[in-house]
Amino acid sequence: MRFRYLILVLSVQLGLIVLGTLTLHSSLISSFVSSAVLLESVSGFEAMASDLSKKGAKAHAPASIVGKSGVKHEFAFALMPDSTKAKVVVDTELSVKDVDEMKVLKFYVKVFDVDSEKAILCVSPRLNERAANLAKEYGISVLEDDVPKKLIAKAAQAVKEIMSTGAK
Amino acid sequence: MKGEKHRIFPVHYDPGKVLFHVIVKLSDAPGSYSSVLDLIRTKVNLIGTSTYTLSDGTAIFSGFAEALSPKETAEKIRQLILRSNAAIDADVREGKDGLLIDTFHTGFAVDSADYVLMRRGGLAHVFIHISKLLGSGGEALLYDEGFTMGKWEAETLAKRFGSERVKNQAGALTGFMTAQGWGEVDGKAGPAKGEMTVFVSDCFECSMENSPRKGCNFMRGYFAGASNAIFGHEYGSKETKCVLRGAKTCEFLLTPAK
Repeated sequence: MRFRYLILVLSVQLGLIVLGTLTLHSSLISSFVSSAVLLESVSGFEAMASDLSKKGAKAHAPASIVGKSGVKHEFAFALMPDSTKAKVVVDTELSVKDVDEMKVLKFYVKVFDVDSEKAILCVSPRLNERAANLAKEYGISVLEDDVPKKLIAKAAQAVKEIMSTGAK
Repeated sequence: MKGEKHRIFPVHYDPGKVLFHVIVKLSDAPGSYSSVLDLIRTKVNLIGTSTYTLSDGTAIFSGFAEALSPKETAEKIRQLILRSNAAIDADVREGKDGLLIDTFHTGFAVDSADYVLMRRGGLAHVFIHISKLLGSGGEALLYDEGFTMGKWEAETLAKRFGSERVKNQAGALTGFMTAQGWGEVDGKAGPAKGEMTVFVSDCFECSMENSPRKGCNFMRGYFAGASNAIFGHEYGSKETKCVLRGAKTCEFLLTPAK
């Protein structure tokens, strides 16, 4: 399942090479790097969910949640004490440049539909100013780091804090 | 007779042709319409026409026409029409380079409500863009917008026709959606008690070829919102079949919320 992402990325890159948009060298480097980061992120959240589940929490990674609209949404991670409602949802936005407000909006409309108590957006490297303001306005907690791998630990810590305080 | 798309003429393009938009304010005397047609039939070939009554009892005739002679002018046709007692006033506007645009009408009115006309492909394209931009959240947004519009439309119809009439003729009112170009909409009760099934062929939401979407969430929301307003309680709405998933028609199941 995870290797589907890798195959997809490589296929797109190959298409761009054929069209002459990318050189083979830069394409291979960027595709392997981005795919590896993505796989690492997916497996990181899976491990986090597994760890929390062992402690009795109902954690899922990846998580599919049907929203109020009846539309099914995918999240990198979700904590769902109740099978119909999420307490915490987490998603990632990994980019080579600052992440813009459209990614925040994209996350927010999903969160709004599933009516999660808490929403965490893990961003690498960081949100741009407008995106950060929007996230603040929407009540989205943002975790940022230049190193994507470090976001997993930060997210795990944030989720544990929410669980321990039971904060809304 | 088999149903047809209603042809209206805000624009017509026929390169090389001399085109006119003929507008006549008709008196309420019997035979006014036919007497104007008799006058202009020797000068123009009518492409499409419409007539409608105004609140003062007079009527408007609007016709897109092609000149039978290249030497025909708008003013000559206007003077010809004004010879008739049936015409209170007349205006003839000429197209340019084979392009004729209706510059007389200022919009559309359906049963006294103002309407906006747009290409169904354009709206479907906007929905695709929202879906691409916001992913599954965009689909949820479209459902919500559909719900809001369906609820508002049903409430508006209830004010106009009465709540009981709208409730009792909810099935028949799907024909109103068909006439407005949403698709060929039909509904029936069932399969279970309290449930309703709505069938939509030629659904506008999935009319764009190669759409990356997988369902008609705007329409799904629309039917849920309309049902909510008409029957006074919440309905779950599920699209059980969709053209975007390979079906011949879209099918929606509406289930009363418990």
